[in-house]
Amino acid sequence: MSGENEAGAVGQSIPRLEVREKTTGRAQYIADMSSPGMLHGAILQSPYAHARILSYDVSEALAMPGVVDVLTGDDLGDGRMGAFIKDEHAIAKHKVRYVGEPVAAVAAETETIARRAVRLIQIEYEELAAVLTPDEGLANDAPIIHEHLDDYIKVFPAVCGGNLVSRTELSQGDLDKGFAEADFIVEGTYETPAQAHLAIEPCGALAEMDASGRVTLWSANQSVFRVQANVCESLGLPMSKLRSLTPRIGGGFGNKMEAHVQPIVVALAMRTGRPVKLILSREEDFECVRARHPMRVRCKTGVRNDGTLVARDVEVLLDCGAYGDDSPGVLGYSLLMARGPYNIPNVRSVGRLVYTNKMRFGAFRGFGSPKVNFAGETQIDEIAEHLDMDPIDLRLKNIVATGDTWMGGSVLASCGLRECIDAAREASNWDQRDLPQTPGKRRGMGVACAAHISGLLGTGAIVRVLEDGSVALNTGAVDIGQGSDTVLTQMCAEALQVPVDGVSVASPDTDGSPYNWGTTASRVTYTTGRAVVGAAAEVERQLRDHAAEMMECSQEDLELRPGGLIGIKGVPGKQVSFHEISLRAHWRAGGPIVGHHTWVFDQPTIDPKRAVAHGLPFPQIGVYSFAAFVVEVEVDEASGKADVTRAWMAVDVGRAINPGSVEGQMEGGFVQGMGFALTEEMVWDDARLINPSLLDYKVPTTLDTPHELHTIIIEAAEPDGPFGAKGVGEIGLVPVPAAIANAITDACNIRLTTLPMKPERVLNAMEQAAHGS
Amino acid sequence: MMTQTMIAPETLEDALAAMHAEPGSMALAGGATLVAMMNAGLVEPNSLVALRHVDTLRGTRQLDDGGIELGAMRRHRETALETPFKDGQTVLSYAASQIANPTVRNMGTLGGSIAFNDPGADYPAALVAANATILIVGATGTREVSAEAFFVDWYTTALEAGELVAGVRVPAALVGSIGHYEKLARIAGDFAVASVALQVTWSGDSIAAARIAIGGSGPTPLHLAEADDMLIGTGADSDALSKAGLLLAQAADPVDDVRASADYRRKVIPRLLAKAMREIAPAREAA
Ligand SMILES: Cc1cc2nc3c(=O)[nH]c(=O)nc-3n(C[C@H](O)[C@H](O)[C@H](O)COP(=O)(O)OP(=O)(O)OC[C@H]3O[C@@H](n4cnc5c(N)ncnc54)[C@H](O)[C@@H]3O)c2cc1C
Repeated sequence: MSGENEAGAVGQSIPRLEVREKTTGRAQYIADMSSPGMLHGAILQSPYAHARILSYDVSEALAMPGVVDVLTGDDLGDGRMGAFIKDEHAIAKHKVRYVGEPVAAVAAETETIARRAVRLIQIEYEELAAVLTPDEGLANDAPIIHEHLDDYIKVFPAVCGGNLVSRTELSQGDLDKGFAEADFIVEGTYETPAQAHLAIEPCGALAEMDASGRVTLWSANQSVFRVQANVCESLGLPMSKLRSLTPRIGGGFGNKMEAHVQPIVVALAMRTGRPVKLILSREEDFECVRARHPMRVRCKTGVRNDGTLVARDVEVLLDCGAYGDDSPGVLGYSLLMARGPYNIPNVRSVGRLVYTNKMRFGAFRGFGSPKVNFAGETQIDEIAEHLDMDPIDLRLKNIVATGDTWMGGSVLASCGLRECIDAAREASNWDQRDLPQTPGKRRGMGVACAAHISGLLGTGAIVRVLEDGSVALNTGAVDIGQGSDTVLTQMCAEALQVPVDGVSVASPDTDGSPYNWGTTASRVTYTTGRAVVGAAAEVERQLRDHAAEMMECSQEDLELRPGGLIGIKGVPGKQVSFHEISLRAHWRAGGPIVGHHTWVFDQPTIDPKRAVAHGLPFPQIGVYSFAAFVVEVEVDEASGKADVTRAWMAVDVGRAINPGSVEGQMEGGFVQGMGFALTEEMVWDDARLINPSLLDYKVPTTLDTPHELHTIIIEAAEPDGPFGAKGVGEIGLVPVPAAIANAITDACNIRLTTLPMKPERVLNAMEQAAHGS
Repeated sequence: MMTQTMIAPETLEDALAAMHAEPGSMALAGGATLVAMMNAGLVEPNSLVALRHVDTLRGTRQLDDGGIELGAMRRHRETALETPFKDGQTVLSYAASQIANPTVRNMGTLGGSIAFNDPGADYPAALVAANATILIVGATGTREVSAEAFFVDWYTTALEAGELVAGVRVPAALVGSIGHYEKLARIAGDFAVASVALQVTWSGDSIAAARIAIGGSGPTPLHLAEADDMLIGTGADSDALSKAGLLLAQAADPVDDVRASADYRRKVIPRLLAKAMREIAPAREAA
């Protein structure tokens, strides 16, 4: 349908709608906002990993000139929030559970005063023994981090107790039989570290109470609705009393999906009756927002001599940190991804999530998948080496295809994985590769495949036709910088055959937007896109009703024409415009045109005839995008430093609504995956995070990005996707660590099982290999 | 307390007088380090004396004996690209060009970098390898200290309270000598995990003179005359290189930090030395 349509419609790489605003520096982010009479907030962070709070003395802080309020856990009720387990207060209460946890907050006339005043707060603690690793947390005599875990509200059938937050198991086939059939079994343990999201914008919020006691809250977020839910749950407010809005967002990657300082800021605004803004420093953002989980994966894969994968057993141990947050979801999702995109008949994946006295870990681009992918995809290469098969051929022999089932039993309605592999293979010249050799360096190539979901949870869209025929779109989906405002507008424009600039897109607002669970899980293009298409269809139906009456013809004779027109088929001059129709609707007949569509993803994750699941937190999830990446690395023999020199990424996105944006997501995901693979790791000395700064924590920059980063878009249309589209937000990251690891193996004949693959690890392994031979 | 004032005098004398008049004041050069530290609340000088208008600190001066003087306010970019270094003096331009990224190179200064003496910084080892001296001014006059003596300990230099770095004197390097700076960092633009700065002079197939300094592997740059001597008279064969490298590695005093472990730093010192020698091979052929 595209191509012949108006400029900007589906399939075209139009620039972001807000490009001017952002490139000229006029976009308003949370830190840019202010309100008359506004106070500034600051937090005091816990110095202890685990301690009982015995008393507070806030008198000195309150006495400081310019200080208006001091907030502690004693000032708030027992309300608790949490996406899966309601285990977290707005601010530490009774206990602190990690170093850096907000334990008190100040509202003052200036930020400087607020930051100085928090240092004057005296808190008496009774230090408790701390749990710093999941293994410690599972020990029989472990100190208990949440004594009331059993009583907490849980939104899924959690198998929990002690410090165990959740145990989840997923299995299909007969594992013992599978391994008995195997001719070769590879086994390994893989460790991956905490990774910081490092959105360029640190978290912050601004809240303001009106005369009726109702609060308006602006914050850096990935879902105005999750913000509303978290604030209301933790502060005991009815949702009707809180309006949640969003300024522009400077990136998310998962860390702005659930609460950060919003509940604290709302509490301060309600207590003082004045607007309060609080922006975390980079260090605070590192220490108390959230990060990717440290994870240990034990993986075992069985194969027959002909290369048929027959069994896989995966065991995952996830460090939850001090609060549940999105962790049960991450655990369940990693288990769902543990089989990989292969038709392995006998699989078991089981995982445990354990509280520790560290910052909470939560959602991060990939949602647990990059870690199991690292384990699984490096094992595929080990098997290929053992069988003396090309790693790509081995994959091709086992991959899923359209009509096959995913782990758990949901059917794949579209799958372009084979096309992805073929494209990456060809573009990288894999079969005839002749890598340039530089003295002192070793080059190698590696491959890895991945899949990622696009469909889960609820969303909606409202489409209205304004008096002049312009179209107003409102979805409640927060554009966190990834471009959903543009893409959803393109879809709306395409569906109604109007130009993109004939469509306005509303900023999400809990007062006026339809519910959207959030900009997360690669879901907005697919799920919200479907809502947009549904709402536009409803609008089209109303437009046609009017047109049929206006032109006195039957519905079947009508067609939508580009430019906001409905005409009579076969009669070129005979048409009415949206403008004319809308005037009629507004002033004479039918009423203003409003179409809406809401839906919730309802395809079951598990087909009970095929699989068994215990403790799975999401019963309905699905719609898969696929990827195959080939990566070339160069390893410096002197230092062991591995650099990615070239990469080819092929991703099946169903349909690229905006190819430029799709490529941007692939490239951004790649570089973030490269950081996870090679340089990024949050490091704790005992309980204290020792690298909470950009000086000490290193993400790759443009200077580290390979000059050759090739993106290849594959379009295996999803039958019920909007214009066939699926998600692309996360998949660009998922296979990167494994592909780089496989390339390092190819270059140096070493196999690393711990991330990041920093120079020290590579060099030590190279030395061991040299001594071993 | 908060920083209350900032002045920007036009002469070195006025700058020194201002530093003297307000104890607890700090010199502000490029601000790349100082402003970040103030923002993080790590230092709170009650006044700042900005050096950016002191013209005499900005230039370079070529000396009759082939030496070259660089003002303290030379930006890293200028040192990297716009200074007429000769022979082995180029170890300094190689080092400067690898500092951070273009933004920081346009901001940061030679004086600010060495006065701060970050153990991961690039100038200290390069200045030691170049056998440079540091020109210091204070209320009582000027003095000159060798780079080796200037870097005293972690973040500590021979500067006394109230003194400023006026500049650096880089002596003429041997004719035909080669300068090189080999830096290992986690990502482009990071401080060094470890580095090797060197000046080497070849005579036919053997090394006639060598001066090697190791950076990033202890409180101050490491230079051992004994290690230099081990290379002299050799053809920089792997045996000689690993002997000298091991000696340096043993003498180094690195710590474990987030950039790397001490063990790793010791391990890579000889390897970086060997790599540096390999890297200069083309220059040697050209010379
Ligand atoms: C992101 C980033 C990356 C960096 N990476 C590197 C790197 O890879 N390698 C590297 O070597 N450096 C690196 N640096 C440091 C950079 O080189 C700084 O410019 C340098 O350390 C300080 O120089 P400055 O002119 O900005 O000094 P300022 O920040 O202005 O001052 C630093 C200190 O020196 C004092 N001072 C300044 N001038 C004088 C003087 N003339 N006499 C006495 N005291 C003085 C100040 O009072 C202050 O204490 C990096 C810095 C940043 C921000």
